[in-house]
Amino acid sequence: MAAPAPGAAPAPAPAREGAPLLSIRGLRTAVSSGGESSDIVRDLSLDLFPNEILCLVGESGCGKSITALSVMRLLPTPPVRVVSGEIIYEGRDLLSLRPGEMRAVRADHISMIFQDPLTSLDPVFTVGGVMTEVIGAHRSLDRAAAEEMAVTALTEVGLPDPAARMRSYPHELSGGMRQRVMIALALVLDPDILIADEPTTALDVTVQAQILDKLTSEQRRRGMSMLLITHDLAVVAAVADRVAVMYAGEIVEQAPVEELFADPRHPYTQGLLRALPHVSAVRRRLHPIAGVVPPPQLMPEGCRFAPRCPHALDRCWTEPPELEAAGGGRALRCFNPQPFVR
Amino acid sequence: MKQLAARTLYTAVVLILSSVAVFYAIRLSGGDVTAARLPASASAEQREAFKEQLGLNDPIYQQYFNYIGRVLSGDLGTSLTNNAQISDLLLTHGRNSLILGAAAFILVFAIGIPLGMLASLRRNSWWDGGIMTFSVAGMAVPNFWLALLAVWLFASVLGWFPSAGCCSPRQLALPAVVLAMEGIALTVRMTRSAMLENLNLDFVRTLRAGGLAETSVIGRHVFRNALVPIVSLAGLRIGQIVGYALVVETIFGWPGLGQVLVNAVLRRDYPVAQFFSLVLVTIVLLGNWLADVGYTVVNPRLRKA
Repeated sequence: MAAPAPGAAPAPAPAREGAPLLSIRGLRTAVSSGGESSDIVRDLSLDLFPNEILCLVGESGCGKSITALSVMRLLPTPPVRVVSGEIIYEGRDLLSLRPGEMRAVRADHISMIFQDPLTSLDPVFTVGGVMTEVIGAHRSLDRAAAEEMAVTALTEVGLPDPAARMRSYPHELSGGMRQRVMIALALVLDPDILIADEPTTALDVTVQAQILDKLTSEQRRRGMSMLLITHDLAVVAAVADRVAVMYAGEIVEQAPVEELFADPRHPYTQGLLRALPHVSAVRRRLHPIAGVVPPPQLMPEGCRFAPRCPHALDRCWTEPPELEAAGGGRALRCFNPQPFVR
Repeated sequence: MKQLAARTLYTAVVLILSSVAVFYAIRLSGGDVTAARLPASASAEQREAFKEQLGLNDPIYQQYFNYIGRVLSGDLGTSLTNNAQISDLLLTHGRNSLILGAAAFILVFAIGIPLGMLASLRRNSWWDGGIMTFSVAGMAVPNFWLALLAVWLFASVLGWFPSAGCCSPRQLALPAVVLAMEGIALTVRMTRSAMLENLNLDFVRTLRAGGLAETSVIGRHVFRNALVPIVSLAGLRIGQIVGYALVVETIFGWPGLGQVLVNAVLRRDYPVAQFFSLVLVTIVLLGNWLADVGYTVVNPRLRKA
């Protein structure tokens, strides 16, 4: 490789449309029971770019969490396992790493925080005990240095009196404090990517805002990427750069956040937005999406949303639509997109 | 701390009540105490004089207070049959019982916990099936029968171990295993279910997400959590061992507290019988008290409650 010419500017950081940091390609994750296997996540492709917040939205059971756990390789296997696909990070497919290599990626490069901070921390170990153990699994530091690192992380997430909290057990902390500990644990090794699975769902409304603020400010300060999984469109509107909408295990629409809210194109996204209560029209009826998600064995051959779609064509019932680029960083899985009527 | 004080007080009250119960039970158990000491030809007057000398004609409550007073001042009395000092019996036989009991107690956990962990980690395998079958058998088989079986097989037929005696390791092996068997069986089941319960909890996923190795996730974290119920019931195992020791010591001719007590009861040697009953009651209560303390030690959630 040639030496750079004297005075040459360093290569600019890749723009958002440049190389993705994490690239999920054709992910298929299935659960097997009684010899039968049904897909929870089907043909899912998603790019996470440097320094962005990507929100993965959808209703409960649509496969958001399973997607995240597939990336971390923390699926409850058996019965859930990745059937096919690639998850490319730093030129390697995470799915083909040996267990030890994958362990080295976790927390150090890709971290994850979970929904319920009450049950997500080991009840018989202190905060400091777990944090220093996680640090020790990735860095060869002496005890004092590891503790200092842990205290710094706890300070950064805004936990009051962090040195004393190192000796606390989870039951001695409030829900919000526990979630801050979870965040500190996830960020202590300064990962490139943070996956946050419904991080505020189990918390009080007032605490939700604080935790969300802390997550976004840490994301910006560290320049890391965040995959935020939520079913709460208010959260999406507040923090997302880009949004991917999931329905029944598939991504149906993907767009920058302003555009998604201004101009949703998939009938499911439109339905979600229409179902939101509106401040300006207090007395207006809410509009739920008709029908329910079909169980796996009744999933239509064609578009998975067809049974609930107001604009379904004959073709939608027989032929599954592909997720196709729609320009401007958008993508859509629909044969018959209609303009949005609120 | 407050809970601990309450448990201690509770234990003390139970100890006092059981000392009364033991005292009355032995007085009311019938039989002629004088037969232990006086020859069959002794006259009624001689027998009456002997009872008077022992204070047996006083009201029972007065005898109780006299007795407790003497025990607390260190005078344990003497055996009626051979005039042996009860304090000497306590030392020699207590030591033997301690050896046997401690061996059984260690076996309960040294065998029970690893087998339970193996069963939980190889769930639904042949290992699991075999270990759980062994566990059910261990709980179902009565220890006196197991003791006889062990003597027959390992002492008579195979000749690997002596059938009775004290206190070499070879002599210890059979009674210790028999004494431990039910505790092992219970510990296996408890370990297995506690491990399985904790393996599926959310915090395990958090630790894996932190990049910890499985040896730490399971061997350190899941195991420490599973230990909470096991340790908290360890004190109860002491009580169980003490109870079974009466039978096992008698069958294996192990000169321990249980054997002394059984012989004393058979011979109406009431000073020995009542004192050793009290000793066993105290050990059992101490075990239960330890269970409460142990639970607090391994479960941080209770420490500051």
